[in-house]
Amino acid sequence: MQKTVTLWSFLALFFCAAFFPIAWMFGSSLYEGGSFSFVYYHDIFLTGKYAGIILRSLILASVATVFATLMGVPAGFFLAKTDFFLKNFFKVCFFIPLIIPSYTIGIAWTNILGKAGFLNQFLSHYFFLSPQSIYAFIYSIYGAAFILSMNLFPLIMIMTEYALKNIPSPLEESGLVCGTFFQVMKGVTFPLISPVIFSGMMIAFVFSLSEFGVPSLLQLNVLTTQIFTQFSAFYNEKAATALAFPLIIITIVIFLLEQFKTRSKSFEILGRSGSQVFMKYHFAWLRVSGLVFCTVLFLITIILPFCSLLISVEAFKVYRDAFALAKNGIVNSVVFGGIGASILTVVGFFLGYATEKTRWKLKEGISSFVWIFFAVPATVAGIGLIKLWNRPHGAFQFIYGTIGIILIGYIIRFAPLSSRIMANFFRQMPQSIEDAGAVTGASWFRIAGNILAPLQKHGIVATWIISFIFCIGELGATILVYPPGHETLPITLFTVMANSPENIVSALTLLLIGMTLLPVGIFFLISKYVFSQKITP
Amino acid sequence: MKSLQVKQLVKIFDKKEIVRGISFDVENGHLLTLLGPSGCGKTTTLRIIAGIEIPDCGEIYIDEKLASRDKKICISQKERNIGMVFQDLALWPHMTVYENIEFGLKTNGIRRDERRKKIEEVLQSINMQKYARAYPQTLSGGQKQLVAIARSIITRPRLLLMDEPLSNIDVKLRQDIRREIKRIQQETNITTLYVTHDQEDAFFLSDRIAVMNEGKVEQIGSPEEIYFSPESLFVAQFVGESNCIEVNIAGINRIVTPWGELSHPTDNHTKGTAKIFFRPHQVKIDQSGCCKGKLVKRDFMGEWYRYHVSSSGVEIVLYDENSYNVGKHVKFSIKEMKLVSF
Repeated sequence: MQKTVTLWSFLALFFCAAFFPIAWMFGSSLYEGGSFSFVYYHDIFLTGKYAGIILRSLILASVATVFATLMGVPAGFFLAKTDFFLKNFFKVCFFIPLIIPSYTIGIAWTNILGKAGFLNQFLSHYFFLSPQSIYAFIYSIYGAAFILSMNLFPLIMIMTEYALKNIPSPLEESGLVCGTFFQVMKGVTFPLISPVIFSGMMIAFVFSLSEFGVPSLLQLNVLTTQIFTQFSAFYNEKAATALAFPLIIITIVIFLLEQFKTRSKSFEILGRSGSQVFMKYHFAWLRVSGLVFCTVLFLITIILPFCSLLISVEAFKVYRDAFALAKNGIVNSVVFGGIGASILTVVGFFLGYATEKTRWKLKEGISSFVWIFFAVPATVAGIGLIKLWNRPHGAFQFIYGTIGIILIGYIIRFAPLSSRIMANFFRQMPQSIEDAGAVTGASWFRIAGNILAPLQKHGIVATWIISFIFCIGELGATILVYPPGHETLPITLFTVMANSPENIVSALTLLLIGMTLLPVGIFFLISKYVFSQKITP
Repeated sequence: MKSLQVKQLVKIFDKKEIVRGISFDVENGHLLTLLGPSGCGKTTTLRIIAGIEIPDCGEIYIDEKLASRDKKICISQKERNIGMVFQDLALWPHMTVYENIEFGLKTNGIRRDERRKKIEEVLQSINMQKYARAYPQTLSGGQKQLVAIARSIITRPRLLLMDEPLSNIDVKLRQDIRREIKRIQQETNITTLYVTHDQEDAFFLSDRIAVMNEGKVEQIGSPEEIYFSPESLFVAQFVGESNCIEVNIAGINRIVTPWGELSHPTDNHTKGTAKIFFRPHQVKIDQSGCCKGKLVKRDFMGEWYRYHVSSSGVEIVLYDENSYNVGKHVKFSIKEMKLVSF
């Protein structure tokens, strides 16, 4: 009873926080002048007025996905299948672009390929390219796709590497007995991991489609930025809502397709134990290729952007100025991020448990329902929150005018992720561990507090850290709903980009990156020092 | 007094009946084993009795009090006072041996000094005092088994449930732990329901055995009854090695075997087919025997040989201490047989 009430309470909380705003927003967009109307949807779908914007969004997402796949699959392959100099170093470094906000990479690359950027000057001098065309590239759809792919390739890399490591070696060895390396790759290895790659591509596509930061930075007219413009510049919230509709439909369809694909193919190789032996190749040419590929990737995705930001800061004094400018934003980011991550961890713990460890018949449906919200674009979530909570006469001012509205935004956007992470940790825990507590007559709260939580401490810490990283980098929803005096660092950065010197922007970007990477570093130290003290399952 | 009574228990998962109306009872202080192949519903039955699963139909009485009727739970999991040893032991890896055992006592609100006394006693009884502060991962397989048993009996449960606790350990250790389980069960006199697919465990430990198949109880009886007097073909074939030969019923108490017609009780059946059942050691190679056959296969089993004998169109298995060459023609006699299936 305790368990059922607790879990349903958290599901209800998520439902209220996430589903209501979105449903309310769409519901109200269907009313015009006091009656039912499709006028805004008619504009979008039947006049062709927005066809170009939808097409640009799809091109951006498709090209970013292709770029990310071209970077991620080979990187994952080399990291999984061969050994080469600095492999582990590359493996750790390639996580960085994934965890820092995508627009920080965008800021760096607009420096690099901007009119005064060093790579722009180098390419125009030695490769006879026009500086204007290089500049135009980075501010184009393809430039945005290139930047987004740097943010997303680690996702595909990790999935590819994990999938390759879970192919039992006899499957490839039996192929090598009668075929060449390339025949085995083509006939055995890649067909086996293709569902995983497909899944990674789908996730990358959805992320690119719903991305707001990079297109906004590059002033591209795509769906997410158009929604923001309609809402904040033209105050046409119904048009903004209607524009969100195709975005939501596309993302939901793709997420469901990905879910269906991964379930029907069942990620067969991903489901196996990671402890089994997997095949590695020790050809010299493969090692050299791995080293060269990873070095180039490292240069493009990490060294160049970071050096560019560091160089453009010029002097230490700039950090002081930037810090003074963004002090409030930094404090708010840390405080809101900390509170948000803590709430998300608690919500994730119970939702993860509900979707993984219960025997509810609706469990699968609930899991998919929760996961779909991860695909809801940030700007859509923001508008939904405003529509629901910004009531006449300030009825909900205690939420709308406070940190509460930002925290609800975090729940909409990241509770699906935190619950998925916790669910994965719960999956590894045998049911008997909990049953052993239950047969002693312990209440479910006692079992949760004394058995589940201590055993899931890795999961809880990992969920908190990941939630914190996402919360402090969140821009799309927060920028729409933050009350005065509650701006976060990304908002400060977004605001000063237009009217501050490049060195201040770079310094702020580095501060944000530092704030993102710091908890990850602390987590690694904690896991190395504290968690190794006791053996855990 | 009956510590446990199960009546017409049914459990359905995904529209499939996993437990199909089983009934049995366990006398106070006795050990009953549910013996059966994988997937026959024995673990599900155990989990229903523990209160982990809710039955669809049937009644469960614990100490003659109604614990559940159909889907209605009359005695909650907490009030059932049941100890359970899981197949994977389910020791909590973040707790020491002491803390693992202490959890149930804490749950029951036992005071700290009393808890310590009880834990020390139980650790002493399994000779594990010096491992009180050790984590489960640092223990050997056998030690883990003992800790799991200690954890399950520390609260002096009315009923102890054991779900294949010996399934993951090697043969030698298995024998030692089996003896330890028997000793602890007899010393504590806790009514125990033991689930296994291993006949040796069942024969060694049990006062009575319930053989299960496809969600139903095929036979309940003492180990000797189960072994020597199986009541169904399944029990005859599942428990121990056996010979089952098809015969024709020629009339009341008359059957036609491959070796000729003979007199045998037929339970008032006058025609049709049936099977006669006999164990390999109930067959003796004997020059005065009335059956003839040829040895077609010989397996060396250490202290004895297992022979496959082809005789009158059927193949039977027998045990003998003497060595004979394959191909030899022998005479044999069947000391005892039973008609098991009509």
